[in-house]
Amino acid sequence: MKPREILRSAIRALRMNALRSSLTMLGIIIGITAVILISSVGQGAVAFISNELSSFGTNFFSISPGSDIVSTFSGGGEPIVLEDVEAIEEANISNIETIAPFSLTNKVVSANGESVRVSIYGMTPEALILLKPNMIYGEFLSDDDRNSRIVILGSDIAEELFGEDTDPVGESIKINDIRFAVTGVSKSGGTFFGSFFNTAVNIPLEILQDQIAGNEEIMEIDISVHDTDLLNETMDEVESVLRDHRNIDEDEDADFTLTSFTAALDTFGTITTLLTVFIAGISGISLLVGGIGVMNIMLVSVTERTKEIGLLKAIGAKRKDILTQFLIESAVLTTIGGIIGIFLGVGGTFLIAVVAGIPFIISVPWILLAVSISTLVGVVFGIYPARKAADLLPIDALRYE
Amino acid sequence: MVKKDAVLINLKGIIKRYPIGIDDFCQALNGVDISISQGEFVAIMGPSGSGKSTLMHIIGALDTPTKGKQFFKGKNIASYKEDHLAEIRNKEIGFVFQFFNLLPRMSVFENVERPMLYGGVPIEERKRRVMDALEAVSIADKAKNLSNHISGGQIQRVAIARALIMDPSVILADEPTGNLDTKTAYEIMNILTELNNKGRTVVIITHEDDIANFAKRKIKIVDGKIVSNTKNKKKQS
Repeated sequence: MKPREILRSAIRALRMNALRSSLTMLGIIIGITAVILISSVGQGAVAFISNELSSFGTNFFSISPGSDIVSTFSGGGEPIVLEDVEAIEEANISNIETIAPFSLTNKVVSANGESVRVSIYGMTPEALILLKPNMIYGEFLSDDDRNSRIVILGSDIAEELFGEDTDPVGESIKINDIRFAVTGVSKSGGTFFGSFFNTAVNIPLEILQDQIAGNEEIMEIDISVHDTDLLNETMDEVESVLRDHRNIDEDEDADFTLTSFTAALDTFGTITTLLTVFIAGISGISLLVGGIGVMNIMLVSVTERTKEIGLLKAIGAKRKDILTQFLIESAVLTTIGGIIGIFLGVGGTFLIAVVAGIPFIISVPWILLAVSISTLVGVVFGIYPARKAADLLPIDALRYE
Repeated sequence: MVKKDAVLINLKGIIKRYPIGIDDFCQALNGVDISISQGEFVAIMGPSGSGKSTLMHIIGALDTPTKGKQFFKGKNIASYKEDHLAEIRNKEIGFVFQFFNLLPRMSVFENVERPMLYGGVPIEERKRRVMDALEAVSIADKAKNLSNHISGGQIQRVAIARALIMDPSVILADEPTGNLDTKTAYEIMNILTELNNKGRTVVIITHEDDIANFAKRKIKIVDGKIVSNTKNKKKQS
């Protein structure tokens, strides 16, 4: 028989038991939907976060204390202090645009009888270039403010302390019983890392060190560059300056870490891809279960149609004719299931993209892979039932009751 | 086609045993010798369990004998493999069964067309041949009907059309009228008689005398052995 005729015959056989065929497809539909959904949403999320990171800037890097991420957070090793920042400034590295040091502490802030525990960032006016906050009221720190007791409130904190839609500029708040004048209210500039502007308060770095934290430690120095292509060279220069300043030899491990966002972006992409593959693999289990369901139904179908197989053999069907017919039926069943799964997966991805505000990305290779896998599942799990049908002796099949 | 009177089917010493359990068997045929020539109309008769259906299955290459020689057009096909036998069934034998003759929920046209799909007949020729065959059994107007939407008599007519479609050497009918009322049964037998009159070899299995009387020769089988093999003197028409 010609492939077109076999295909027509297979579709007809499946339509005869439409409900059963649909239920059998369900496992495949769920599996393929899950694979498409997870891979596409995963890619959308990666694109979203990459975009956010890029908007924050791939043109900068940061320096944190400690030789690795563990010591950065555990606070071990020699702290970074303002002298380190000055050493970098004095090196006059031409590619450096801005140097912005940050410190962080947690304190209770009070005003108008309201108290709230918040993160307090100590920063310099240079942070404006790097973090791009949206100023709702007032101004960001200026050069004149480096030693003033002023505070820029995050929009959420301002709302909590002074009420909704109230301009608190000119008011004052207390941090550790020290009065600070409110000079501005900031909101996140839309950048991923700038979002802390909503829920934190920012004061001049040196005020934080002297009057609030009581130490000179700097949590991080962020440095932006003019030419991103020379980022790595600039990082090497800065590392060398810091090693000199902190008396660390070339062959020693540095007690600080330089991280560029390009590297962080790569790491993030790798982690997400691994996670996507891992979760997609788990959805593959649904395909396996779906495949077993297909095999089960095809076995039932072979048993039910034993007499039909006998009749087909009586009028001249050869072994390969019966084998192909049942294999095609099984493959058509799972392929249709796969195609439905793709539509559901793409539709679901679109919905999630709209609701979560991430880019709608459909991966064509994943779709092609999904169709191939669903067809393959049909062929693999159809082989046993099809062989069982093809191996029936005509006389046994005709006599079957 | 083999010329008239040439031997078409020749069975010699056919024994057929079916295993029952592990070490027992049932002997369905016990040394059967039959020769059927081109253009004959033979009725194989016998009570229930006599082995007549087994005999028909072996004649129709649906089953193979345990022992004996089975010649079809002069070739011993007793040891042929299943695919080879399928080719013989497709091209040389047209079957009409008592039950489950047609593929369910397929049209009359598609049922009759089916053997040609396995025989590799081109599509244009298939259409012409199906309509010719349906006209030959006066059921061309039902071509588009689904096979489960026609009467028992019509089903048998469609089955005969299908049996004829590959222009086979012999038509084998297993109790073709067993499910029909007398009038319809006689109509079916008249179609088979007409085909035989045009030179087609017809072999039917029946346990009814009046049906067997349409044939030119009657073979009686009891307990797997042929007990009589005679010309039919009471032939109906």
